[in-house]
Amino acid sequence: MADGGGWRPPRPCEVYRAEWKLCRSARHFLHHYYVHGERPACEQWRRDLASCREWEERRSAEAQRSLCESERARVQATRKHTLVWALRQSPPADWHLPLPQEEKDQ
Amino acid sequence: MAGAADERPPGPPAEEQLQQQHVACQVLPERLAEGKPGQGFLSSFFTNNQKCQLMLLKTLETSRSRGPGAGDPYVKLLLDAMKHSGCAVNRERHFSCEDCNGNVSGGFDASTSQIVLCQNNIRNQAHMNRVVTHELIHAFDHCRAHVNWFTDVRHLACSEVRAANLSGDCSLINEIFRLHFGLKQHHQTCVRDRAILSILAVRNISKEVAQKAVDEVFESCFNDHEPFGRIPHNKTYARYAHRDFQNRDRYYSNI
Repeated sequence: MADGGGWRPPRPCEVYRAEWKLCRSARHFLHHYYVHGERPACEQWRRDLASCREWEERRSAEAQRSLCESERARVQATRKHTLVWALRQSPPADWHLPLPQEEKDQ
Repeated sequence: MAGAADERPPGPPAEEQLQQQHVACQVLPERLAEGKPGQGFLSSFFTNNQKCQLMLLKTLETSRSRGPGAGDPYVKLLLDAMKHSGCAVNRERHFSCEDCNGNVSGGFDASTSQIVLCQNNIRNQAHMNRVVTHELIHAFDHCRAHVNWFTDVRHLACSEVRAANLSGDCSLINEIFRLHFGLKQHHQTCVRDRAILSILAVRNISKEVAQKAVDEVFESCFNDHEPFGRIPHNKTYARYAHRDFQNRDRYYSNI
């Protein structure tokens, strides 16, 4: 993560706001309950929105730290399960090859 | 890959490719399309194949000139993600509209890298969107991972769990239409059940074996939301997911 010079919030502040609003909506409550059987937690989006705005206004180092920590935690949460399969280093060789000849003849 | 209600059996392993192609062609057409109701205006003037091609065109619409609302956001994201992974999708090469057996809606044939759409079973545009989304998830998995479709039932189970989870197959609305009523955590029940059905449609194994495979991989695969980053409950979520995907360079370089 680059400090000072090149850094900006990972997402535009409007996106944090949109995610927070979506999270707090009744429809999202319903979807979340339907999937997880519990209510959603939206507080972190609100904190991230506040940090984002604080950084925009005052370039606060604390806001930058808080945002980075929050987003890294989100990324970690998606990576905590071991994958069932091995990821490829390159796409399947035959993806772009023409269809087998018998197919074309039909 | 294939599901009883929504997919059709995948292609045979390479060594059996001498036989037929498409898919456990137990998938010879059993009934002709003419009698099928429900397409309204289009029924009178177009064949099932033409209807299928037209609906597919609409689903794959990504043209900017049509505005950001054109096409389906689930499909747009999957197409972008696949392109990013080196598997750009070409409509003519990677899709095929065909007649299928039973009430299967589509399938992904890993041996030919082709998505088959069952022109006699896809009811309307919304259904087409969902079938294409479902099959593109399989294609995406095939593109980014070494999926042993034919030799490891756990891999097949994983892709089916993901497809049922992320394509909208198990949305509350769809389940209600199927007369499956349940709210708290019902989504997970639906995903398990549909994954098992899909596996049984393409593998000659017992329900217990299929169930065991799904149970083994469920925790990992249910929580693997690539390329969406979340479970897209409806088009709004899918649009947000697409927005995040387009923003990923900025995202990863600033955390």
